[in-house]
Amino acid sequence: MNLSAPRTLALLAALAFSGCAKKEVEAVIDNTQEVQAYYKAHPDFFKFATRADLPKDLAWQDGHDVPEFAAPEAKRGGTLHAYVDDFPRTLRFVGPDTNGTFRPYILDDNALTLIQRQPNTGQYYPALASSWAVSKDGRTIYFRLDPEARYSDGSPIHARDFLIGVYLRISDHIVNPYSKQYFRESIAQVAMYDDHTLSVSLPEAKIYAPMIAGSLTPSPPGFYAAYGSDYSERYQWKFPPTTGAYEVLQGDIVKGASITQTRVKNWWARDRKFYRYRFNPDKIVSTVVRDESKAFELFRAGELDTFYLNRPELWYEKSEIDPVYKGYIERVQVYTRYPKVPRGLYLNVIKPPLNDRNVRIGIQHSLNWQKVIDVLFRGDYRRLDAFNEGYVNFSDPSLKARPYSINLARDAFHTAGYTAEGRDGILTKPDGSRLSVAVTYSSTLPLFDRMFAILREEAKACGFDLRLDGLEDTVAYKKEMQKQHEMMFESWLITPPVPDFHEFLHSSNAHDEKGNVKTQTNNLFGWARPDTDLLCDQVRTGRTAEEIRDATSQLQHIMHDEAIFAPSYAVDFMRIGSWRWVRWPDCTTTRYCPPVVYDPHEVYVFWIDERVRAETRDARRTGKGFPESTKVINPDQPNTESAAPANP
Amino acid sequence: MASLRFRLNPQTQRRLNRFRGIRRGYLSFLVLAALALLSVFGEVLVNSRALVVRYQGRYYFPTYGAFHPGSDFGEGYSYETNYRHLGQRLAKEGSGDWVLMPPVPFNAYENDFRPGVYPPTAPSAAERHYLGTDTTGRDILARLFYGFRIALIFAAFYIGFVYGLGIAVGCAMGFFGGKVDLLGQRLVEIWSNLPFLYIVIIVASLVRPDLTLLVIITGLFSWTGMTYYMRTATYREKARDYVAAAEVLGASTSRIIFRHILPNTLSMLVTFVPFTLAAAISSLTALDFLGFGLPVPTPSWGALLHQGTANLDAPWIVSSVFVSIVLVLSLVTFVGEAIREAFDPKRFTTYE
Repeated sequence: MNLSAPRTLALLAALAFSGCAKKEVEAVIDNTQEVQAYYKAHPDFFKFATRADLPKDLAWQDGHDVPEFAAPEAKRGGTLHAYVDDFPRTLRFVGPDTNGTFRPYILDDNALTLIQRQPNTGQYYPALASSWAVSKDGRTIYFRLDPEARYSDGSPIHARDFLIGVYLRISDHIVNPYSKQYFRESIAQVAMYDDHTLSVSLPEAKIYAPMIAGSLTPSPPGFYAAYGSDYSERYQWKFPPTTGAYEVLQGDIVKGASITQTRVKNWWARDRKFYRYRFNPDKIVSTVVRDESKAFELFRAGELDTFYLNRPELWYEKSEIDPVYKGYIERVQVYTRYPKVPRGLYLNVIKPPLNDRNVRIGIQHSLNWQKVIDVLFRGDYRRLDAFNEGYVNFSDPSLKARPYSINLARDAFHTAGYTAEGRDGILTKPDGSRLSVAVTYSSTLPLFDRMFAILREEAKACGFDLRLDGLEDTVAYKKEMQKQHEMMFESWLITPPVPDFHEFLHSSNAHDEKGNVKTQTNNLFGWARPDTDLLCDQVRTGRTAEEIRDATSQLQHIMHDEAIFAPSYAVDFMRIGSWRWVRWPDCTTTRYCPPVVYDPHEVYVFWIDERVRAETRDARRTGKGFPESTKVINPDQPNTESAAPANP
Repeated sequence: MASLRFRLNPQTQRRLNRFRGIRRGYLSFLVLAALALLSVFGEVLVNSRALVVRYQGRYYFPTYGAFHPGSDFGEGYSYETNYRHLGQRLAKEGSGDWVLMPPVPFNAYENDFRPGVYPPTAPSAAERHYLGTDTTGRDILARLFYGFRIALIFAAFYIGFVYGLGIAVGCAMGFFGGKVDLLGQRLVEIWSNLPFLYIVIIVASLVRPDLTLLVIITGLFSWTGMTYYMRTATYREKARDYVAAAEVLGASTSRIIFRHILPNTLSMLVTFVPFTLAAAISSLTALDFLGFGLPVPTPSWGALLHQGTANLDAPWIVSSVFVSIVLVLSLVTFVGEAIREAFDPKRFTTYE
């Protein structure tokens, strides 16, 4: 994924500047006045009301009927050994470099929000808010905080902390205008009524309003009292008191090497429904291992507890090892219902010849993804059919990607005016212009070089010259953000439940008022059309599922007909190897993990059985084996149980 | 290059004769020259295009010509003919038509996939993948071969660039001396302290370099070494009587430099060439290995080496490229040593 921040250059810069960093005594700052002034300056956004202002006729919900999804047999304790491919650049949650791979560990999957969504059923269940209510007009959600809710430092959570949390993200100290703007646009007002009651209003009513409003997190004012213009350095390595299960203690940050998360002592939610069987390990140690093959060796030796085995060579050849045969490492292929990452080529319609729809259609037919899937992925993956595919309610399953076809491709190119053929077999127009388009991609993974080498050779048979522009990760990202690419191979992490088209298709992300290309947005297509603008807005503001479904389906069809997105491949499952002391749920509600997760680890339903670890250690010493365990778990087909022996 | 106009002086002639007498070096030189010559005609040896096709009584020579769509030979497609399949078909039909393929019937880019077999595949004479295929199903021998050719082309330009710049600057410093020398030396010192690899990495990460750019980048950071030798050599030659004599006779500066000084430093330069060649090949390989070299899918030894080390379970990749590198670099080094020995002034000097 290209979301991560600079690599090589940052590394070089870090090398260059590490020597000259000076330790300065931090000035004591108290920003209370400043924050109050900011609140005053934005009275529409921050509202201080009284309990009397609460509407009387609210229907409070508390999610008491929502089923749990963790396994009651889960055990507390133990240590999970994980790895990260790069040391986190910061522990902040706002400001530069906060979108790294480590962020979910400390924030998104850990810190509690007001309410959360049950990953199996999609219902809401209480987190920091013990109950919530939706206003009549559907725009405002009211929350009552759980009076027991505490930060990891023991201090109670207060309604005003949510206002601080919003302030930190939108204050004038934040340089990135995009995130600020996003926050300002997605929330209309935050109001507090008393210490434990607050409301969040959205600009317009939405079908998933409680989820959006309920995703706020509190920030302790004491900790952020020194938040000011120098916040990004000041808070760089300070772990804020968290409401979640894991905190990072100061001594546990070994820069460049490892970072350890410790389960909060007497975590306030430890016995709460939905949390009592989750977040089980006492410690999670994330070691930096920059090379995947080295990480695999560590996993093989038992130094890492779990490992993704998605790629065929990891699942097949590299898994032909003793720990797997002897049942020390258990492997699972678990199918998920998570929306499919829109991975494919983003055709920039501003750049000729891609402004010609026939060329785009020809290109779609000249990319032999099936061969890539068959050869590189052993036929285990499948063809992605559409952009934003796999949203349970909001994707049109009837759409099918265009297949590789030399004749259809040549027909389309012919219609576009490429009627002659050069000495090398590449089609040309009568005026001599060659049918040649560059594809930009990140060559950090050697796999992509191999993939495009195949596609290039296959495209040649269609008379299409696919030029390969593999660039270092950061450079490729920069190029696409500058909209300098012709075609870009890209994938975005998308989230359920509603797909977003606005950022990819809306004209406001394609050009500014004067018609200049707008850079630094995700509209990599350069696409701008009034009808798609309307539909994008409709997806964002739809009040009913039908309305959204109608708009998403139309958008998917437009994208297909205009052939601006060339879908590549999709993976319907996660393959995970875990040493047998890492236990995963196997109960009626949850088999292995809830089906709508991107990564089975993210909901923390596993646990570490130290007794089994000791047993396995002894077994390894004596050479004793357990039955080999390779399972296939498919929530859509409950009875497609494994081919291999069951659990030991 | 101006040096081509030089007439070899008898002493140089004698040195060349002596080089011929050093068996190992001379043999290495012959082998290397043969390899270079072979690579010039690489399309005839390693290619997916047929050498000769006899089809319906007519002869076709597709190697260097325009491409023939499959329909030219009665195949049902309009893209370039797959001559290996065509050959099999014609042989089966038995109509007297035939296809003559090169010894290695693959080019360096095509993916040779067979159903149910996942690349890399092991060497197989039956499949005519004599060194197996890489992880994308490309013939390793073809990639090695064309990778060698590209490395040689790179080295040729690199040597030209480095020597051109190094000789010019070094000679100027030595000949003019004084402030030019003082200033030039300081500039060279500063320049040679720039961290070469970092700069190459930064530049290569900003733009995907092609061959020309790569020659320029690597050359820009390699010419300084040559200036030191050239400077001293020029100083030494300039102080000799024959230069003074030329000056007295009224020879122009350029005549002195080009007709008198440069030919006399040639012997020193020649001893460096093989080592520069080795440096060029290894730095290109290193850059490709690190992923900062030529753009994919250009065949390159570095990329192949990288692939090989990442796929040690397919030992034919790493071993064939490793053997090739060792072989070529050894040959170059043997040649270099022999030249150095042949040109060693000790043979003609007596110390008192």
